[in-house]
Formats: sequence, C-alpha cells, structure tokens
Amino acid sequence: MSKHDSTGSALINHWQRGVPVYRHAVVTPGFIFFAVLAAVGLALAAARFFSPLGPFSGMNDAYAWGIWKTFNVMTLTALGSGPLAVGIAAWVFNRRKLHVVMRTALVSGFLFYATGLLALGFDVGRPWNFYSALMPWRWNSESAMLEISICMPLYCAVFLAFENLPLVLERFYYTGGESTQWILRTVAPFLRRIYPYVIVGAYVLPLMHQSSLGGLLLLAGDKINPLWQTPFLPLLYLLAAGLCGLGFVTFLLLICGFRYSRPLDLGVLGELGNLLSCACFLFLAVRAGDLIWRRQVHAAFAFDTMSLVFLFETGLILVPAFALLSKAVRETPRRLLNMATLAGLGGMFYRFVPTTIAYTPAHRAIYFPSFPEVLMAIGYISLGIVAFILAVNYFAVLPGDVEDWNQMSKLDRWRLPAPKSEAVKPERKTSWPASLSTP
Amino acid sequence: MSGISLHPTGGYPISRRQALLGMIGLGGTITHAIAAPALVEEHPAHPVAALDAVSMLYDNTICTGCKACMPACNEANDLPPDTLQTGGLWDMPADLNSKTKNIIKLYQEPEGPGFAYVKRQCMHCLDPACVTGCPFGSLQKSDWGAVTWNSSLCIGCRYCEVACPFDVPKFEWDHFDPKIVKCEFCYDRLHNHEQPACTAVCPTGAVIFGKRTDLLAQAKERIAASPDKYFENRVYGEHEAGGTQVLYLSNVSFQKIGLPKLGTTSLGHYATKVTSVIYKWLSGPILMAGILGVVIKRNWNRHEAESAAHEKETGLHPQL
Repeated sequence: MSKHDSTGSALINHWQRGVPVYRHAVVTPGFIFFAVLAAVGLALAAARFFSPLGPFSGMNDAYAWGIWKTFNVMTLTALGSGPLAVGIAAWVFNRRKLHVVMRTALVSGFLFYATGLLALGFDVGRPWNFYSALMPWRWNSESAMLEISICMPLYCAVFLAFENLPLVLERFYYTGGESTQWILRTVAPFLRRIYPYVIVGAYVLPLMHQSSLGGLLLLAGDKINPLWQTPFLPLLYLLAAGLCGLGFVTFLLLICGFRYSRPLDLGVLGELGNLLSCACFLFLAVRAGDLIWRRQVHAAFAFDTMSLVFLFETGLILVPAFALLSKAVRETPRRLLNMATLAGLGGMFYRFVPTTIAYTPAHRAIYFPSFPEVLMAIGYISLGIVAFILAVNYFAVLPGDVEDWNQMSKLDRWRLPAPKSEAVKPERKTSWPASLSTP
Repeated sequence: MSGISLHPTGGYPISRRQALLGMIGLGGTITHAIAAPALVEEHPAHPVAALDAVSMLYDNTICTGCKACMPACNEANDLPPDTLQTGGLWDMPADLNSKTKNIIKLYQEPEGPGFAYVKRQCMHCLDPACVTGCPFGSLQKSDWGAVTWNSSLCIGCRYCEVACPFDVPKFEWDHFDPKIVKCEFCYDRLHNHEQPACTAVCPTGAVIFGKRTDLLAQAKERIAASPDKYFENRVYGEHEAGGTQVLYLSNVSFQKIGLPKLGTTSLGHYATKVTSVIYKWLSGPILMAGILGVVIKRNWNRHEAESAAHEKETGLHPQL
C-alpha cells in the first residue's frame, strides 16, 4: 500500500514517526569505549574543579581561548543547530516531511548544547560569580559574551528541554502504570497548547546566540585575518550554523540507519539534501559578496597559507552545494552521506578557523591543546555519544515505520523482551541499500 | 507665600490653543526622551576624551631604561616579583604577565647600535574593547577614564584578553581564584590625590602624569620643537583604536617597540554599530518572534488538523 502526500508523489520507504531501536544490544564494545572516554573526561573535569586552569590546559595569555571554547562551543553547537535549521524548515517554511526527523535533531542538538555548556562551565575561571546572570542590572547589554552566556543556557535548559519533553513523557506513558498514564493524558493537551508559542522562543534564541558567537569575534579586530574578520561575521556564523545543523542531521540519520539497519526514507533525506544545498549556496553567496565588498578577493587567491585555508574551507562547502543539486546524488544514500559530511566539515572549519588558525595575537605565541585539555574535550563529546545511544535505544527518537512502532506497547520496563529463538527480522518495505552496506 | 503662581495659566481653565500646545509639548518631550539616546551614540567611531581624563605621556628619547617604575608599580599594586627567569633572584619579567602590570622593554636594531626603550602597561583606551566585551561589567571605565577591574563581577571568561588590541589583560592561570591583572592607573592613588607610582618615581620625566588634553598638547610641542626627532612626527595613542589615554613619543617605529598598527576607529564602534540597532530594546528579537509566531501558529493549526485526521484514521497518537 503506497501512500501519497499532498504533492502526489509516492512515498515508498515511509518514515512515519519516531520509533525506538529494538533488538540491538545497547552495551557494545563501542558503547563501552565511549563510556570510558566520557568517564576519563569527567574525572579530569572534576579534578579541574578543585584546581587552577593552568595545569589542565595549554592556553596562555595570547591564546586565552582554547579548544573547549573554540571547538566544543563555537564549532560543535553549530552541529547542534539541527533543531533550529530543521525546525524552521518544518514549522516556518512548512516542509512537513521534516517533522518526522525533528526528534533526531532535537536530541542531538540538546546533547551538543549540554556538553558544550559543560565544557564552558569548566573553562571559565571564576564560575562562582555567574549568579550575576540572574541580576539584569549587572548585565552589560552591549556585550556579545553576555548575550551568549545568558541565551545559551536558557535555550538549552528551557527551550530545548521542553521540545525534548514529549518523547520522554511518551515513554513513561507506555511503560508506566495507570496513574502515570492518567497524569500524562491530563498534561498532554496543556503541552500541546503552549507548544507552538514555546517553539517561537526556541527559534528566536538560537538565531540570537548563534549570530552572537560570530559577533564575539568582531571585538578581536585585526587579530583575526581579514579573510575572516568582517562585519558580516554574525550573519555568516548563523548561516554556518544552519548549514552544519542540516548537514549533521542528514549525516546522523544515515549513520543511525546503517548502525541500526533502519530502512531509509529517501524522500525525507532528499529534502534535507535539497535544503543543505540551498544553505551551502546561501553561505557561499554571502561569503563571496562580503569579500568583494571589502575588496579582499585578491587575498583569497594569494595562495599563501591563509588563502589556502580559505580555499580548502570554501571547497568543502562548494562541492556539496553543487553535487546536491543532482537528484541522483541526493537520493543515493552513500553519496548523500559523503556530501553531508563534506558540508558539515566545511561549516565546522569556518566556525573553528577564526579563533585558531586565522587568529594572530599582537604578541607571538604558540597554543596547542595539552593532553588533559584534549582528553576533556573528547570526554564531553563521548558523553554526548553515550547519551545519544541510550536515547535512541530507550526513546522513540529515530524515524521509522509504523509497524516497528507497534512494538512500543510490548515494551517492558526497560527493553523489549528478548526473543527466545533466533530473532525474526521484521519484514521491511525496503532494506538498507546495498550500495551503502558494501565496504 | 509670594503670591506668584507656579502654574502658567494661574488656575484658570486653559484655552484650547494652550491645551494643543501642551499636548505638542508633552509629545515632544516623549519623542525627545525616545530619540535622544539614539542620537547620542554610545560608541562613536572617534570618541572624544572627557575633560578630566587623566593621561600618561611616555617619551622613549628621555627614558634611560633604569626600570625604577617597575618595582614602584609592584609595590603600589602588591605584586610579587617575577623571578622565573633569574632562578628566584630578582624581578625580571619577560613581558606583561599576571605578576607584572608595568614593564620597560628594550628594542635593539638587528644590525647597528640603535636601540630604544618602551614602557608597556594598559593604554586606558577612550572606548576600551575589554569594557565593551565584559559580560557583567567587571571591567569598567571608572573616574578620570581609568579602566578598572572588579573581582566580584568577573566570571573569568577571558574575553578581555581576546578583545584587547594591545594584549594587556593577563589571567592568573596558576591560581584557583584567578584574577585579571592589568594596570588600573593606580586608581586608589588617584583617589588619594597621588599620581600613579610609575610616573611618581620616574627620575628623568620619561613618563609623566597629567590631564590628557595637557599632555597631548605638550607632546605636540615637543614634536614641533624638534621636527624629525620623533617617528612620523606624531603621538601614538592620539587616534589609535579611537584614542588612548596613554600617549607615546618614539624615535623608532611604533611597531618596532611593539605598539600595534591600528586603525583610528574604536573597536567598540565596529563591534556594536549593527547589533546596537538590532538589539535596541530587544526590538529585533521581538519583531522576529512576532513574525515567526504568526507563521508558526498558522502552520501549527494546519498540522494539528492533519494529525487529528491521521489519528482518527490509524489510531496512532500524533507525535511531537
């Protein structure tokens, strides 16, 4: 039975709703690997809590910001902008196909923000003074840093948390007793009523702080290479966030489809590829227009170090921008994965370079992250991966088929009861494309 | 009571014309109250120094490199000597650091006997980038334009270090309770009607203290008195990054003695000229929320109707 959407095109591999991962071991060697890394990182972070910053990082007065800020926050929250990019596409531009992948975007976005803020918490030198955030009369309203330090935690703790609430409550509903179900049935209509208003905040806030992350760098002035230092930094950082968000959600859906042998909905993925191409072109257009306006085109093609860094970064975004114009590329999972990866890397590169490679303080100095600094950064990321694996296994996050959904009612407290005999593979409308399965 | 009424109409009912004028007046007052802050730019591209702005003028043709200012600074600010390079023997910092707010450095020509001293400390910009960036106002432009740091407001984000074009603020990387260390123009001494320790102790008058207007005039007199003595016949700090309260005269290139080549526009102006419009009374975000709200609500209603129909058809509750 094939369904038709409003435009009349047939949806064969139909993703209809979020479905938990069944019949896959949660604790695998990979899971243990990331859990150990997360534990090491958190143990170091705990030690850092009782110690000065010096022994834990390679930062110095010339490079006062290390990878915790430049990578875990500046770069990775761009990847965590999936809820912003996909959400705006779905709710504002009415790309209704994309509602089904919102949960994947929301969970990953929440984890990127939460781990980024964790990194920030152990990076600041005087966290005990942060209570000033609750005292508006102390705010320096013209500081981009203020905007970020208020807006980011607020977005993560209130708005992203709220958007992730339905999938948590849903699980309680299916695993809980009658009283739990009664409470949730009572609460649900209220949540639905406020939902459209809350998501307005969930889009306005990241529009503000994702652009402010670029706005931060304006004050650094001449320290940042003229290929990157521009009054358009806030807009470009925002566009790069959209690009990274779309790219990462596409990447994540494909990777999870592969890992958990889920059928793919190429209609939805193709739509994401389409939007990703648009985001790449939009970013490149603003970037090119800015360089022309500031008369820096010659610097871009000077073929010195910074010019090559620029060209590499632009190439990473230019290739998927053009490649994804082709329907054949968009709807071939392996190619789509490659292009989403390239675009995501390009966006990350753009967000990472101005504070690191293209950053030259007045005094010559060298910064390279120290071993504990790197372990902590990896630890935060691993924590996010562990949490994501748990989330997709216990909650209806990844998009799937209604037939799989029907197993939700058979869940016991934690897992689907293990099948006694050899697990019968559920019949699927389409299987994972052979093109991606072959190494 | 003198019998003079404070009320212009003397208690009589006001005429229609007067009422109209009054309304225009009131309206004008409100318009003025709203428009006035917009007219007075918070970060002009080229800020003008306050009349009472204090200043330091350093002339490296007078400095003998005796470094008397360095221990004087340490003493006035309770700073420990930096003995890292001397095996614990005496104070010899390599540069400004978390133990050094003031330093005399030597520039030596790579070839030839030429050399020049330079004194480095906070420049006390007229529109400091560190103050613009500081999230909770820990760094402030205080009385007489001194840029000061308040330990109870600082969260240790180190944005000031990224923002400062002169690389002045330093962070105590090896302290559990780290402070931002920078010259604060001996703020406490200024309040006691004393001049900063470095200018007070300087035996040759290479660095002198005074009002910015006076010292700028004096520097220009020195240039006029001996043309071609000073590099580019100009005062460093008059216009750099919008102007600084510390002024330099040098007989070698400013870049050679470590003073960066900067534009004349204040960084605060560059960084806030667009955002100050967008974020004025949060008008940009509120406008954005309004537009998104209308569109999302419309799409939401449509989506709810669709999912209700879908639920009726399949019996599956709609997911968010």
